Amino acid sequence: MAKLEKEVTSFNSKPKNKMNSFGEKVIKDFKRNKVIYLMVSPVVLYYIIFQYGPMYGLQIAFKDYTPALGFLQSPWVGFEHFKEFFNSFFFWRLLKNTLLLSFYSLLFAFPAGIILALLLNEIRGGIFKRSVQTITYMPHFVSLVVIVGILFDFMARDGVVNDILVFLFGGEPIAFMREADWFRTLFISSDIWQNVGWSSIIFLAAMSNVDPALYEAAKIDGAGRLKQMWHITLPGIMPTVVILLILLIGKFMTVGEEKILLMYNPTTYETADVIGTYVYRKGILESNFSYSAAVGLFKALIAFTLLVIANSIARKVGDTKLW
Amino acid sequence: MQNNLKALTVLFFLLLFFALIVGCSDNGTSSEETEQETELKDPSEVGYPESLTYWAELNGNAAQTAQTLNDVRAYQVMEETTGTTIEFKHPSGEGTDITEQFNLMLASGKLPDMIEYNWRTVPKGPDNAIEDGTIIRLNEIIEDYAPNLNQYLNENPEVKKTVTTDEGNIYTFPFIRGDEKLMVFMGMIIRQDWLDTLDLDTPTTIAEWEEVLKAFKTGDPNGNGEQDEVPLLVQPDDFKNIGPFVGAYGIHAQFYNDNGTVKYGSIQPEFKEFLTTMNRWYEEGLLDADFAAMDGKLVDAKVTNDQLGSLFGYTGGGIGRFTGLMEDHPTFELSATPHPALEEGGIAATAQKAFPHEGYHSVAISGQAENPEEIAKWLDFAYSEEGHMLFNFGVEGESYEMIDGYPTYTEEITNNPDGLPMSNALGKYIRANYGGPMIQDVRYVEQYLDLPAQKEAIEIWEETAENNINMPPITMNSDESDEFNSIMSDLDTYYDETVIRFIMGDEPLDNFDEFVATLEGMGINRAIELQQAALDRYMAR
Repeated sequence: MAKLEKEVTSFNSKPKNKMNSFGEKVIKDFKRNKVIYLMVSPVVLYYIIFQYGPMYGLQIAFKDYTPALGFLQSPWVGFEHFKEFFNSFFFWRLLKNTLLLSFYSLLFAFPAGIILALLLNEIRGGIFKRSVQTITYMPHFVSLVVIVGILFDFMARDGVVNDILVFLFGGEPIAFMREADWFRTLFISSDIWQNVGWSSIIFLAAMSNVDPALYEAAKIDGAGRLKQMWHITLPGIMPTVVILLILLIGKFMTVGEEKILLMYNPTTYETADVIGTYVYRKGILESNFSYSAAVGLFKALIAFTLLVIANSIARKVGDTKLW
Repeated sequence: MQNNLKALTVLFFLLLFFALIVGCSDNGTSSEETEQETELKDPSEVGYPESLTYWAELNGNAAQTAQTLNDVRAYQVMEETTGTTIEFKHPSGEGTDITEQFNLMLASGKLPDMIEYNWRTVPKGPDNAIEDGTIIRLNEIIEDYAPNLNQYLNENPEVKKTVTTDEGNIYTFPFIRGDEKLMVFMGMIIRQDWLDTLDLDTPTTIAEWEEVLKAFKTGDPNGNGEQDEVPLLVQPDDFKNIGPFVGAYGIHAQFYNDNGTVKYGSIQPEFKEFLTTMNRWYEEGLLDADFAAMDGKLVDAKVTNDQLGSLFGYTGGGIGRFTGLMEDHPTFELSATPHPALEEGGIAATAQKAFPHEGYHSVAISGQAENPEEIAKWLDFAYSEEGHMLFNFGVEGESYEMIDGYPTYTEEITNNPDGLPMSNALGKYIRANYGGPMIQDVRYVEQYLDLPAQKEAIEIWEETAENNINMPPITMNSDESDEFNSIMSDLDTYYDETVIRFIMGDEPLDNFDEFVATLEGMGINRAIELQQAALDRYMAR
């Protein structure tokens, strides 16, 4: 850094360069900091190729795109596709399902990681703690296809879960995977099962940063385990929780479409069909690319708005924020 | 540091700009390429091409023994004869996986020379695909460079009508069923041994079916002392698209042709009667509780567990296959039942009956192919006498022998030494058993259906349905099919859910009028109009 600053000062001390055009400055700067540019280039390239590049194609949301004509030649249709979607028979159902699934996973799946971390934190070391941690985060690495396969098997009319339920409580077996009412419960709870261990890791890391002296002091003041958790651990990890929550809200409308695609069927469309799966069916299966691009854009706009709102709330309420 | 940041931003946007430019210019070139040449070569100068690329689904029957179609004997022999090497591109998976990869391939703008697909039902229709240069019009090319196919089409004007669009374009080298016997292959199949055990007659009417199903449910025909029998299994898509039991009520669930007038069956009062019956059967446990979410494996399991009493299935993949799977069962016997009628002596209005050409397994030449004349010559080989034998029977001395002028499959096929079922043994040699750009020979099916029950099935299913109301393979123009698809995609989703709910009793049948009103609100009447226009044009061809 010292060297860099020195060069910057020497750069400023040359009065001749002051009048140079912006372009020359860029070239100068590039020459001087070659290595730094080199280092940053993969990241920049990643964003250009995979994040900004594809945005060029977003224009088809306002066009009547046909592959044979390409992006540029396809005729403009303005907001036609958006109108069609807002007037679509399924618009409200898709919106409701998407929001509800997101909301439930925020309500149940997000705290689950915190709770597991809090519980684990109370166990003082030992094999038990480590094995619980390992076992709970293992499912995260299992492929989604396998998870849903297991789900279908266990939840079938003649599956393990029904066998146990019928044995304990009697009654008729329930075809869980074919009941629209059960879809959200199964979706969220299997998600918790798969990811709770993984999401607890980051909170455990945050907890290990809490100053042990605080616990000592609290103990001397006569605070029990629960009080310590409530007044020291939780406030200690709050910044992490808030940041993660904001990030999660940014992904609010993205509810794990791959998993829904694997899980749903016409009997559960009523609760399972979300914007993402609709985009897949419309765009990829019916090759209605323009329409599904418009629907996807609409979804992204909602998510972006939510992110801005969440961030400004976090700003007002506390000091933690994204920007 | 401020300077660095600014420079970085500039660089970033510069790169972004370049990326966009590159993106644009790519598109420019690809759309230019699709313009086709109009000048045709002299037929006598055209030979077989050196190499071609060919996109086609690899059917499960072949996939058992082949990585690509190049491993199939017919294509190996064809390569020896023509000297053309084929690079096959096979999409993976089945069903919607294929659709997905097909759509993405078209969107990518990079097309192989030949594409095998159901081009009749592509979004915006075949005429549009020709217009925008995705594939080429074949009329002139077939006339000049595909003499064998040309001759067949000229001798069979009815077939020619089905392979031509309203605008007069021939768009594929078609898969053609060469005989009536090849067009009927699905119907209701019942456990004959259960009927015998319970001393019941083959049901022919809806009422008789109900009695038989009830007896299956309560009479313990599988003799294990438990009431675990599933009397009937028909999947919702079969009710919807083909019409077992629906046909008894004089309608087809989808669009049908009532003496030249298109109607949509599911908004007719008869459909409510059908739903009422199915709902009753479901409530009484006659119709499988899992009927709404079935796949092939589950069906197999129910049959092989000795639980299923009757199902809607194929002569080959149903009767033949299950009889093979249940070889060790002492009494297992399947037989075809007549398509159910509403009353004694009645006849079903519709049932499965294919048209000689429906669009499946047909090959279009892409607009990017450099030598369409040579490709046509290559494809025409399958319609020649030599090619016809090759794709229907395989190689003489290996998969068939000529016995008294009749190409008879050898033991290699009928009793495969590696234990392959006949359909897979056939898949190793030929394409007649699932379809391809060729004319299917009736002598294939005569040998493929070796069980008496299978041969009877074709006759029974042929006789017991009128099939006058079936919709012919119409084509729509680009605007029509755009509008039709945008109506039907939401409508079908709603339809699928609601019909299942009616049958399962989640939605009371009193709401049938609301169901009809909703379909009308979603534009079913406009869809009927569009179908009507297409049908009128088809009739006028």
